Amino acid sequence: MTDISQYEIEGWADTRKRVFKSKMVLAGLVVLGVFAVLTFIHPVLQATVWSGKQSVYRPETGHDTTISHPSGPSIAHPLGTDPLGRDVLSIMTFGLRPTFLVAVSTALSAGLVGLVAGTSAAFFKGRYDRAMTHVADAFVLLPPPLIFLIASKRGLLGPFELGLLYGLFFGLGPAAIVVRSRALSVMEKPFIDAARSVGGSPRWIVTHHVVPHVIPHVAVIVLAGVVGALITQGFVEFLGIGEYRYGLGNLVYNALTYQQALGSGVAWSALMSGALAISLLASSFYMISSGLREVTDPRRSTRRA
Amino acid sequence: MVRFVLRRVLWALVTLVLVITIAFFAVNLLLPYDYAVNLGQRPRAIEAIREQLGLDRPLVVQWLEYLWGFVRGDLGESYDGNRVSTLVWSTIPTTVTIFAVGGIVAYLLGEWVGRVVAWNRNRYFTAASSTGSVLLFTAFPPWLVFVLVYFGTERVFQVRSWFGLGPKPYSPVPGGPALQVVAIGLVIAFVGGIVLRSWAKRHARRALGWVALPVGMAAFVASLLALGVWAEAIDLMLWPSAVMATIGLVLIAFGESMLVMRAGVSSEMTEDYVFTARAKALPERLIRDRHVAPNAVLPAISRLITSVPYLLSGLIIIERELKLGGVASLFFSAIESGNVPIIIGILAIVGIIGLVLRVVLDSIQAVIDPRIRIEGQMA
Repeated sequence: MTDISQYEIEGWADTRKRVFKSKMVLAGLVVLGVFAVLTFIHPVLQATVWSGKQSVYRPETGHDTTISHPSGPSIAHPLGTDPLGRDVLSIMTFGLRPTFLVAVSTALSAGLVGLVAGTSAAFFKGRYDRAMTHVADAFVLLPPPLIFLIASKRGLLGPFELGLLYGLFFGLGPAAIVVRSRALSVMEKPFIDAARSVGGSPRWIVTHHVVPHVIPHVAVIVLAGVVGALITQGFVEFLGIGEYRYGLGNLVYNALTYQQALGSGVAWSALMSGALAISLLASSFYMISSGLREVTDPRRSTRRA
Repeated sequence: MVRFVLRRVLWALVTLVLVITIAFFAVNLLLPYDYAVNLGQRPRAIEAIREQLGLDRPLVVQWLEYLWGFVRGDLGESYDGNRVSTLVWSTIPTTVTIFAVGGIVAYLLGEWVGRVVAWNRNRYFTAASSTGSVLLFTAFPPWLVFVLVYFGTERVFQVRSWFGLGPKPYSPVPGGPALQVVAIGLVIAFVGGIVLRSWAKRHARRALGWVALPVGMAAFVASLLALGVWAEAIDLMLWPSAVMATIGLVLIAFGESMLVMRAGVSSEMTEDYVFTARAKALPERLIRDRHVAPNAVLPAISRLITSVPYLLSGLIIIERELKLGGVASLFFSAIESGNVPIIIGILAIVGIIGLVLRVVLDSIQAVIDPRIRIEGQMA
């Protein structure tokens, strides 16, 4: 990347500057960063702050016998406890792992599939392009959340595989359409003709000229797709139909169910932490995506100067 | 024009066949054997059930048979011997009505708020409203339902009591002729109102624009009274689970439509014609509503259409949480028992809804914007 950047009109440095100017992107990155820290903090907390009473803070079986449950935030339990007396912060940080895994695998597979399908359709044109467009139109009409729910039923697929599946459906549908239209407009640019006239091979043109210009748009659409995957994963955990793990969805489910079963008050702290963690994590992806969309939209960026 | 629409319909049919093919193979590969495994425990019993259902034949043969059935308007038979089309038709009116009403309300709200927010220069107002709508769009449906039920149930009962109706637990909406009248009537009232409103705006009849929706609703109420189904209809419309599902869908869809509309308006705001309009000293409101908004609406709508399948799946989750009946009950019980034909049928119906919406929208756009028509012919 280093030696071609000087020939590009808008280099990576310029793009980076514009990206970080966008408040949406910044806010999204901050939220995402906080959740990334929370995801990896569980073992650290177990080893340090909670080391004395690990049995109290265990996410599955922990129980604090000194207070009644569910309880609100306190110093010992910063996010309170759920109706069964488990520490909410512990469950939440533990349960963020499958959610994060889904986000990563969805983004990876949707990005890769969308990039390959979209760019190849734009590059080869003709019959292949028409076939790809039809396939993409069909995939747009099949909601990946429903496919995700169907696939999770057997309990054989873990979060990572489900994310890959969601990404496949999303990548062949919306992502492929967006990438194709962007790649088509890049292919019309003079520098592609220039590259052709100096004898650039098709492979070189695609990898060095088309793909770098399309990547930001891939990021925009893929990050928007992750939102749906995260919420669906939460719902699968809520229903308890997937591979069994402690997740954010379980946290919400337990808060609602045991409140009814035990007749205690609403476990607001458990309910809110679970639901808001899913929703905030999803919205961080959405914010980064829509911020990036504004940055990469040529009409806006050129006129703003 | 007719040629354009015909091409669009032909394109839609090819896409539909692809949708069904993908759904067929995806569901069959994701849930193989399940139905038989649920019923019979012994391998020989499983084999017998599979043979009886014709599942031992190659998948391609089953697929061709399914497609042939579909061409004749037959969604096949579920594994327990019911017609899938009957099952789907008995549940789809509830879902479609709620989706149409909720979607239209959310769109109208989102369009209006998005326009106002994009025009407003107050940083805090912009930040607060975009954070709010992002959080609404990404809300976790079971939690949203819980909050709505927790805080809203009393209000719904209060409204019901105004019409002389007693409280009611959250339960499935009953089908029947009254529901169909309500479904068709509500959709016609809303769509007619919107069409009239946009016509009035285009021809600068402000007064007509304002009364269009109320007049549509009044006509709807009058026709209910005339048909003599008023009592039943009002009970259906104030059915607690239906009311809550509509509100939930409005909240989720509002976030998306507001953000899309805001982005559309703010990208139009720097155009030259806005500068010209300001130079003519036109009032800001007029520039916003008459010059910018019409240009921003079409791209916003076509972006929203792509999220229809996503919003539909959100609604299905909400329906399940509220025990509304509707498609959700069918979908989740079919997943539970591994009843593949029902699942494929539902996916096909969701695809058809999305497809019809797109064809209608494309045709409307082609009527409004001649460039699309010509491009479509050249492609």
